[in-house]
Amino acid sequence: MATSRREILKLGLLGLASLAGNSESASAQSRNRFVFANSSAFDSLDPHTVFDQGRAAVRFNLYDGLLRFVDNPPKLIPWLAESYAVSDDGKTYTFKLRADATFHDGTPVTSADVAYSIERILALRKGPASFYLDLIEPGSTQTPDPHTVVFNLTDPSAIFLTTVPNILVVNSALVRSKEKDGDWGAGWLARNEAGTGSYILRRYEPAVGWSGQRFTNHFAGWAGQPIDEIEFRTVQETNTRVLGLMRGDFDGADGLTYEQIQRLRPSPNVQILEAESMRIFLLALNNSKPLMNDVHFRRALAYSFDYDGFIKNIMKDSVTRNPGPNPVTIWGSPPGLKGYSFDLAKAREELAQVKQPLRKISINALAGYSESEQAAVLFQSALRQIGIEADIDVTPWPVVASRFAKAETQADVTPVWRSTFYVDPNNWVGEGFGTRYHGTRTMSYYSNPAFDQLLDQALLTNDHERRRELYEQMSQIVSDDAAGIFIYNTRWFGPYSTRVSGIRFSPASNGNDIRWATMTR
Amino acid sequence: MNVVSMVVNRLVWFVPTVLGLLAVVFVLARIVPTDPAVLAAGENATAEQVQEARERLALDRPLPEQFVEYLRQVVQGDLGTSFYTQQPIVDDLTERLPATLELTILGVLAAGLIGVPLGVISGLNRNSWLDHLLRLVSVLFIGVAPFWIAMQLQLLFSMQLGWLPLSGRIDDFAPEAMTGFLTIDALVAGDLQNFLSALRHIVLPTLTLALPGAAVIVRFTRTSVVEAVNSPSVAYQTAMGLPRRVIVWKYILRLALNSTVTQLGLVFGISLTGAVVIEAVFEWPGLGTYAVRSILHSDYNAVMGVTLCVGVLFALSNLLVDLLQMAIDPRGAT
Repeated sequence: MATSRREILKLGLLGLASLAGNSESASAQSRNRFVFANSSAFDSLDPHTVFDQGRAAVRFNLYDGLLRFVDNPPKLIPWLAESYAVSDDGKTYTFKLRADATFHDGTPVTSADVAYSIERILALRKGPASFYLDLIEPGSTQTPDPHTVVFNLTDPSAIFLTTVPNILVVNSALVRSKEKDGDWGAGWLARNEAGTGSYILRRYEPAVGWSGQRFTNHFAGWAGQPIDEIEFRTVQETNTRVLGLMRGDFDGADGLTYEQIQRLRPSPNVQILEAESMRIFLLALNNSKPLMNDVHFRRALAYSFDYDGFIKNIMKDSVTRNPGPNPVTIWGSPPGLKGYSFDLAKAREELAQVKQPLRKISINALAGYSESEQAAVLFQSALRQIGIEADIDVTPWPVVASRFAKAETQADVTPVWRSTFYVDPNNWVGEGFGTRYHGTRTMSYYSNPAFDQLLDQALLTNDHERRRELYEQMSQIVSDDAAGIFIYNTRWFGPYSTRVSGIRFSPASNGNDIRWATMTR
Repeated sequence: MNVVSMVVNRLVWFVPTVLGLLAVVFVLARIVPTDPAVLAAGENATAEQVQEARERLALDRPLPEQFVEYLRQVVQGDLGTSFYTQQPIVDDLTERLPATLELTILGVLAAGLIGVPLGVISGLNRNSWLDHLLRLVSVLFIGVAPFWIAMQLQLLFSMQLGWLPLSGRIDDFAPEAMTGFLTIDALVAGDLQNFLSALRHIVLPTLTLALPGAAVIVRFTRTSVVEAVNSPSVAYQTAMGLPRRVIVWKYILRLALNSTVTQLGLVFGISLTGAVVIEAVFEWPGLGTYAVRSILHSDYNAVMGVTLCVGVLFALSNLLVDLLQMAIDPRGAT
């Protein structure tokens, strides 16, 4: 009996040892497999509906566009297209496609695929569609030959070229074969891929993430020792992302605050890459509402935010002050634009000039983003000192986004970020404050005929210097009118495994473009 | 009451219970400040498209009518489409349910395996130092937040000792599922590597789920054992000179197990809801993480689907508890 008990104990211990002995994850064991802990869930893989920064990895690794943004400051390079030409009237864009590009199933990429992709974007009306809905009529894109595609714009557009990387090309024959009830293959493409990208989808589980195998026949070729397999795993718990990086389970992660980045610095397994980015944090003001439509009231608000205190104490000096609507890292901001400072005396002076009766204002902070919530609380506290009461409502992004859709529903103040969807000042000051973007990409419902006139000119001309002047003037107007309260430009911190090198950061890809990276074998 | 009538009785009560649950969740989902039609129509939708979505989803009708329409769909097995994943909610739930069930069932089993023996030991040694220690520890585990336990286990077993994985359900992606229970699937397929991988990944979430449950069971089992020890029947068997071991195994345990089984049923229900937190910490791809994402994205249909699913599971676990109680002590059937 005693022997038998001892044997059972021995077997149990052996079992435990085998469990523990094999504890290093396969992720860490694989020598050339890059595992990224992604804070956003990949609930869909459709490149024409998913368009946020949090899930950019799908767009940059499984798909390609005609052009591509790389590096920082971002450069627009030919990608699926080898060249392009713009007509004199600025309304016709002709792209010549590379002859050697193929989809993952070996089918050559043709102009018909590009035409199908833009039609699909326009029909689904999601993701990047808002760039093109007013610019390209459905059915207007021409394909004179298999390697030429012609976009016919309804109006000249100086920004069209910078948005072209967002027209990701799908395999039209494959997607068509999966269409169901006129859904443009949306049901199928949400869980599968039909791209040309540097990686081929290997596995996808919506609850877990996805993995991809290197597409060795990719038209751009491969140099050095590229990564053979990538895996983007959803890890929403911040602490688990941090510990996973330290432990070597993950080779990269996103969505970490500066404190967490600092916590990672001493870890021997982790390196922190840094770069100036183009993502501004602002208090978006709804200029259309009573009281908010009074410039003196808005200026009073602008003088009531403790910019330096916020950047120093809450952001720990990890970001740079951005006084205007455009990131300081892009052209289009007037030299020497000072913006506002924290000055409650000036705020009171402005408030004294307000004719409308004061009322309580609403602040809508973003749930799960501590900076947004902290900015709301700091602002509320300062406003109280000048006699303005504010209610704070904390809601998740989809709720905030649905409120932005209408002037009546957007809160008076929303602490929020504006990311890089295309690299042009229009992405920030133009879309943020032009009347033409009301109900689509605005966050301000600001309406100023003088501003709109400048915007119209800036969108029509391709003269870079003229555009610079126009956007500088627009930025000055927005600043003078305090149409928004601009706080900082984000600095990008990329925590990666020390085994990883060659990450090519661009504000457009946020470091998600993995084809350029290498891992120590 | 025999088994059949008891089951029928429970099932009859099951209908109004689920209806009540759905009604509460339905009303809560409609009073939050986001328009479901806007979410369903998607970004960039025109006013006409939003209106079309409103009519298609019957959101333009009075609330009671909407509820009846929703019930009609539920009866047909249609829980609607997720605004966020764009997939039928039934498919989303089917994909994620096995992960939660595997974790919860193992958690409850572990809670029972830890809690019952310790509760018996505590009860049989009433007021000894061991009893005091077990009571203190069980109160601690009842009081401590599960996410704190999860993080401590991660720090100890994953970071310090490096014995167990930090998060996830398996290395790489799960193999093709038969039951969706990865440990069972791997065993059936004879895939030892995946079996060990799945087992290593489930240890910490299971422990996190089991420890508070075990603490509850220790407390209840102890009380039941103390009551049984002081019962006239045990006094009689003792007076009859039966050996201590026989009295404990045959009489005390049988008397005590009845209430312990009830607690196991409750622990199962609590564990299902507790899985929301634990799945988030361990990135366990189950219903909990799905529920959190659905709430954060105001995905009402999905939230209602999860609630219905958890409610049905809870009701079924209660039925199972009743059947087990009947098996242990047929006199107690009501």
